[in-house]
Amino acid sequence: MVETPDLPSIFFYILVNGLPLTLLLTALGLLGGFLLGLSLAIMRVYGGKDLGLVSNGYEKVLRGIPLLVLIYIFVFGIPGIFWFIEPLMRPLFGVILALGLRSGAYQSQLFRGAILSVDPGQMMAARALGMSQFQAFRHIVLPQALRLAIPSWSNEYAVVIKDSSYAYAVGIIEMLKVAFRVSANYPLLWAPTMGVVAILYFLFTYPITRIFGERQTKKLEKLGMGGG
Amino acid sequence: MFQGLPQPIEDILRVLEYWDHILAGFLTTMELYGGAIVMGFFLGLLLALLRQYGGFILSRIATGYIEFIRGTPLLAQLFFIYFLPYSMNAILEAQGLSPIPIGKWSFQTEIIILDRIITYTIFDHRILVGLLTLGLNSAAYQAEYIRGAIKSVGTGQLLAAQSLGMSRLASIRHVVLPQALRRVIPAWSNEAAYLPKYTVVVFFIGVVDLFGKAHFIVAQIFRTLTTYCIIALIFLALISIVSKVLDFVHKRTSIPGV
Amino acid sequence: MLRVVDGWKSYGDLQVLKGVYFEVGEQEVKVIFGPSGSGKSTLLRCINMLDPLDKGEVYLREQNLMAPGVNLNAIRARIGMVFQHFNLFAHLKAIDNVSIGLRQVKKLPKEVARAKALEMLNRVKMAEWVDHYPAQLSGGQQQRVGIARALSMEPDVILFDEPTSALDPELIGEVLQVMLDIAKSGTTMIVVTHEMGFAKAVASEMLFLDNGVIVERGTPQHFFVSPKSERVKHFLKQLDILYGSHKELLKQSNEEESK
Repeated sequence: MVETPDLPSIFFYILVNGLPLTLLLTALGLLGGFLLGLSLAIMRVYGGKDLGLVSNGYEKVLRGIPLLVLIYIFVFGIPGIFWFIEPLMRPLFGVILALGLRSGAYQSQLFRGAILSVDPGQMMAARALGMSQFQAFRHIVLPQALRLAIPSWSNEYAVVIKDSSYAYAVGIIEMLKVAFRVSANYPLLWAPTMGVVAILYFLFTYPITRIFGERQTKKLEKLGMGGG
Repeated sequence: MFQGLPQPIEDILRVLEYWDHILAGFLTTMELYGGAIVMGFFLGLLLALLRQYGGFILSRIATGYIEFIRGTPLLAQLFFIYFLPYSMNAILEAQGLSPIPIGKWSFQTEIIILDRIITYTIFDHRILVGLLTLGLNSAAYQAEYIRGAIKSVGTGQLLAAQSLGMSRLASIRHVVLPQALRRVIPAWSNEAAYLPKYTVVVFFIGVVDLFGKAHFIVAQIFRTLTTYCIIALIFLALISIVSKVLDFVHKRTSIPGV
Repeated sequence: MLRVVDGWKSYGDLQVLKGVYFEVGEQEVKVIFGPSGSGKSTLLRCINMLDPLDKGEVYLREQNLMAPGVNLNAIRARIGMVFQHFNLFAHLKAIDNVSIGLRQVKKLPKEVARAKALEMLNRVKMAEWVDHYPAQLSGGQQQRVGIARALSMEPDVILFDEPTSALDPELIGEVLQVMLDIAKSGTTMIVVTHEMGFAKAVASEMLFLDNGVIVERGTPQHFFVSPKSERVKHFLKQLDILYGSHKELLKQSNEEESK
């Protein structure tokens, strides 16, 4: 009779074998989303009507498509997109691309809100000193906007790390996939293992959103930043 | 038949030949969507009230549920519920007890449109699991929106109602909730409009929704990119329409100052 | 040194400035006052081209700022501005608020900028607060830092947009004191304010702006002894009530009693 693994060892097994790729997907997806989202937000706030329309249109489209469909499009629909990467690694990049594009749409709105809630007087004072619009944005508005964005951004982090679980569908060895593998032979453990992996995700989302959500908001209020 | 047309157009038309399947998939998606939203609303309302007004124990249970569901992936939740009967049976069998019957039951029907006969699964055990999971999941998110709206009504309203002699329950029911439910419409519309996106997760337990049908079509005609793009567009259209409708409803039902 | 010639400005249908002529010479202090909505703040923002005139010219040392191709950022570095709501950079300490212009616009090295900033903060008597954030400072302290920030750029002229209007009464004095000091030390200033005491002390000329037009102008003596227009007289009476000498009110109520 095969020895049934116990839950704590399953917990650590998933942690060790699945976490690296989960974190990789999350980090790269968020990074891509950050660069894309910030650019789109700047386009929409400072760019004038046409750029704003592009940004707005992108947001609407990317928010209206299920992530799973997006992943399948990039992994199975346009495999040639990653011609420069070896075939085994392509699904990984497909997922990262999908995660990044999706996150970019959400971060765009996030940063737009943050930029707009910086007191307009700040920009005025910076320009009055003689700073160009670029300088004023870079040194005065952006630092404050980024701080204001932290609570929402921590939420977006939580979304992306949860979404990374869809990579399971294309064979990437992230936490959910590992959970499947380890419990495959033990029907008894199918549900509990899912519970364990859920707890793992929870440990990586709740503390972060708790700390960077509420406490950060209180700290910001103390510094008096934002729309006043 | 489509020989002379440019490749992309030809591809699209070949995919659209399967419009009956697409329709069936769409209906399943809508079923899941509708059920999840409704279940999510009532359960979410309950959770919000418990978290806000429940006693020490109840509010903590509600909070725990909400935070846990929101902090874990939908996919993990789906698999947990799907596997639960299997795991429980394994325990029961090990104890020598009789297992719960996991009936593979289903209710199907045939819909006839034009020259096509569509075999449509109205309900089966997989759809039940999917519906349940989506409902439980959506409830946690809706609960937070509703709670935010309740908090924004302000304690003054509750105090004023109670000072008139209304019981706490009645005050909540007649004064706080009506205002809260109006205030929650924008945020709620957000959740309601985007929920269809999340229903695709049922693909993983074998429910053939719109996404599942996409796979079927790809297996038939191998037009991978075109098929998935069309499915994506259908979702986009659905979400846009729902968004606009909810916006309209919001404008029509607004009371100044609430 | 600075001249506004035939300035016109409107926002949509609303004509805010209707043909304003105005000039200030080296080391002069000009005070602009008038009812709210008269266009005073707008005029200041037109002068430093933050919100340019629709029609007319602005000359800084005989350079036409409204001409195309003018480097407005460089011009604004030569015109300082102090705001009604201070507009200190919330994420920077006081010392950095004052030095950032020197570093980013005048491209001074960090240590030089910091030294100059310290000097300015000293001048406005904020030396002990250099490492504090704006949120940790009172309104009067914030405004003094704002003045230091403007001073540090060594501008040709400093514009003051109702610098004390947002302050609690006890804090107005410390800011006015600083403004008096720098006026006496020869800074060219254009001040929009209702602080008549300040005007009487240092203004070389006062201008009454009402409804986008300069209704009357003259020395402080002229205004307080024998103003010509009725609107000016009415406005000054309102200010009198605001600032508490209540001479008119007392006179009226005495007359009522004796009836």
